[in-house]
Amino acid sequence: MPELILDNLSKSFGDTTVIPSLSATIPDGEFLVLLGPSGCGKSTLLRMIAGLSDISSGELHFDGIRANGWSPKQRGVAFVFQSYALYPHMTVRGNISFPLIMDAFRPWHHLPGVNSFMRRRLMASPAISQRTEAIANQLELGALLERRPAGLSGGQRQRVALARALVRNPSLYLLDEPLSNLDAKLRMQMRAEISSLHHKVGKTFVYVTHDQVEAMTMATRIIILDRGVVQQIGAPDEIYAAPANTFVARFIGSPAMNLIPVTVNEGRLTVPPALTFFYEGPLPAAGPQILGIRPEKLQLLSEGNGPLPAQVAVVESLGAETVIGCRLLSGATEEHLLEHDLIFVRMPGVQRIPIGTRCGLGFAPGDVTWFDAATGQRRAS
Amino acid sequence: MSEQATTGLRRFGARALPHAFILPPIAYLCLFMFWPLARQMWMSLTDAKLATPNEGQFVGLANYARLVETPAFYASLKVTLVYATSAVVLGVTLGVISAFAINRPFRGRAVVRAVLLFGWAVPNVAAALIWLWMFNERSGVLNQILTGVGLSRLRWLTSIDWAMPSILMVTIWQVAPFVMLVVLAALQSVPDEVREAARVDGADPLNVFRAVTWPHILPAVQLAGLLVAVWSIRRFDIIYLLTGGGPLGSTSTLVVRIRQTAFEAHELGMASAYGAVGLVLALLIAAIHQLVDRRRARWMADR
Amino acid sequence: MNHLSKLPRFLLLGILAVLAGLPVYWMATTALSDESQLYMNRQVPWPQIGNLGSLLSAIAAVPAGRWMVNSLIIATGTTVVSLLLGSLAGYALSRFRFQGRGFIGFLLFMTQVVPEALILVPLYAMFITLGLLNDLAGLALANAAFSLPVATFIIKGAVDTIPHEIEESALIDNCPRFGILTMIVLPLIAPSLAAAAVIAFFAGWNEYLFASTFLMDRGLWPASVGLASFIGQYETPLSVVMGTALLFSLPAITFFLIIQRRIVAGLTSGAVKG
Repeated sequence: MPELILDNLSKSFGDTTVIPSLSATIPDGEFLVLLGPSGCGKSTLLRMIAGLSDISSGELHFDGIRANGWSPKQRGVAFVFQSYALYPHMTVRGNISFPLIMDAFRPWHHLPGVNSFMRRRLMASPAISQRTEAIANQLELGALLERRPAGLSGGQRQRVALARALVRNPSLYLLDEPLSNLDAKLRMQMRAEISSLHHKVGKTFVYVTHDQVEAMTMATRIIILDRGVVQQIGAPDEIYAAPANTFVARFIGSPAMNLIPVTVNEGRLTVPPALTFFYEGPLPAAGPQILGIRPEKLQLLSEGNGPLPAQVAVVESLGAETVIGCRLLSGATEEHLLEHDLIFVRMPGVQRIPIGTRCGLGFAPGDVTWFDAATGQRRAS
Repeated sequence: MSEQATTGLRRFGARALPHAFILPPIAYLCLFMFWPLARQMWMSLTDAKLATPNEGQFVGLANYARLVETPAFYASLKVTLVYATSAVVLGVTLGVISAFAINRPFRGRAVVRAVLLFGWAVPNVAAALIWLWMFNERSGVLNQILTGVGLSRLRWLTSIDWAMPSILMVTIWQVAPFVMLVVLAALQSVPDEVREAARVDGADPLNVFRAVTWPHILPAVQLAGLLVAVWSIRRFDIIYLLTGGGPLGSTSTLVVRIRQTAFEAHELGMASAYGAVGLVLALLIAAIHQLVDRRRARWMADR
Repeated sequence: MNHLSKLPRFLLLGILAVLAGLPVYWMATTALSDESQLYMNRQVPWPQIGNLGSLLSAIAAVPAGRWMVNSLIIATGTTVVSLLLGSLAGYALSRFRFQGRGFIGFLLFMTQVVPEALILVPLYAMFITLGLLNDLAGLALANAAFSLPVATFIIKGAVDTIPHEIEESALIDNCPRFGILTMIVLPLIAPSLAAAAVIAFFAGWNEYLFASTFLMDRGLWPASVGLASFIGQYETPLSVVMGTALLFSLPAITFFLIIQRRIVAGLTSGAVKG
């Protein structure tokens, strides 16, 4: 049961550096999610932890022991691939019992001819077949044991991959975007199953995804990565409430946090070019700053009320709530439009508001997060 | 063993692994092909005789000098080139035509395709036997047909004019099916959508062929051509069995000359020199193919 | 030509089929003819099935059975060696990145360019030293040197199509590389293995030059050498010669009849990949 320590890990492919330097400590039993957009290096990191990719520089410690050169077997890890990587020519039973059989194989058992004979014999042995069936039943695969992967649905294959990981009783579970090939409904169901699995098994899970919903619902701790650089490490609540920078602020939460560039001049804030209003909350330094406010913290008021006059541009009605996208009436012409120029407001229930309605946006100063306009870092204020 | 040692050993094992895999095949090839080849090249620089293959004296390029002065050498070079070129041109043409002819599905297509493959399927020796009989001057079926339509008999394998064409006939019979298969595979991988898009764009069948189909199968045709060329230089069995290199050396390719020089004239050194020339020729053709291939790939990328 | 209407196309196909099939047809016709008819310039142009019985017993008198068995041994040996070593080489070239990879690819290609006649004599000398002369196993080893690279090429192409993750999964499951090859990769590329096996088998079956040079014992003759010995001698009736030749050709012909669709498919996947 290892405590994982990543110490200045770095990975390069030839001249390209994918991960410059990454450090983190992961206590035992954590459900750690590596979150980030495509190409941010999260899968690379996972493979380095697994022993599938070499570590270019830095140290990896399992329970205090340097593990850089260890084989996957020595690390005692299980890996669930995005494509499940089931063995197509073996039955479900064959797939699940494969790790157990491999542990029992001697080197010379791998000779062609000998290998299938030994494999069949070991699969029928009581110890292995009992454990296989136990795990299969645990994941509701008992009836499918003699099927081939080609005859299984996506969700079933997913569970076979999990079963294959479980059966070895590893000390570390590594999962690489296991749910991305499933449809939305199945994904929700599997999220719950994986979480309960983690609860039951009690071992460390390291889970890679680009889906922030998965991260927020399953993780005990999240590492957010962008282009190989750690943006923030923390529990989901912390990250949501206090994002470390604008990247994190826009990555977490759906719809993303609204980021409004303003120029601070004592008690007056100006949204360039022409929208000025008074503000009573704590202020960062003077000059250009970024005001961040989550959609659910904004109130949609009738025209003329609230500090920010706006016009409704988009209404997304989701049944239980409605998301309204507004454009600030800041006097901006095409050249002055904000990045992602809509401001999103979340409102409960069904709101029938015609597009083009003029309105005002209000918020409480306590709900504001300030970011430095130059670096994007959050300002504690 | 200590943790360090096992990890170190493991690291070495990991790096040595590819070599462990590739070593047996390469060692085997070195023993059974490259070492003999090297010996043969060396032998071309000696005056070894058949009876004492290992006791030749080093004579430098004397064999090659003699080669250049032997008319038989030029004759066999010419025969080889004529043979290879004709085999390629005729074999590839026939193969391409067959591929196109058989491309569309119809009832009994599998049977017809199987029959078209006979030339490639029949072993060399059996082919030699039947063609020898078919070419037979007095009683062979080909002369029977000729006399049947009122023409005079031909001395297929025994006249200087007809020996090479006869050999070519057999060669093409053997080689066209292979070309057909290769081109057929390429033809069937031409994406229908591209062809149909061209048709929708108003192109007539000839233009569709020129713009879409031909570029797509060109690599396959070139590959087939290359293989036929190289095989022609290598081909021994069928020529030797049908004509023995005669009459008067009119079908003696370089490879056949190797056999004759080694086993009839007992001159191993000279035979090796012949062989070296044949090898160089084959390598040249392969090199040209590589060049053409690379240039075509670049041209395609630029379009 | 794709757009030729039916009649010209069928005509063309008919001509091609006649040209391609005539020799084999004539082989059968000659085999099933009366010996007396053959030399009078009036050979009956169709096979006379009535002669089948006498033909078969005459073939049995000629040691054709023994010849075929020898051919089978040589061909099988060639296949086994080619597949064993070809699997190792094909897997290594597909999965491992190591120095000299390109050079080895070039070496393998070279073997397809070398004329057999060129290494005949040195191989003969070497076989004397190794004691492999007059030995069917020696022949298999000599033949496999030419089929091994083809098998490697085919196997490499097939291994390229297997997703990396399956092998990585096996690595995680504590399966050593060699075990991955034998237990995971080879079963998954079975069709390509079959294609390579067929090519190697028939290369060994048809081979003549090495067999005629390296074998002294008439009892060791494969069918290729045995049939070639008929050329120029008149003791054995021509019909028997043709019958034996047909028998010798039969495995290849029937095989091609059965699996020609697969050949096209196998070549297609290779061709598309390059």
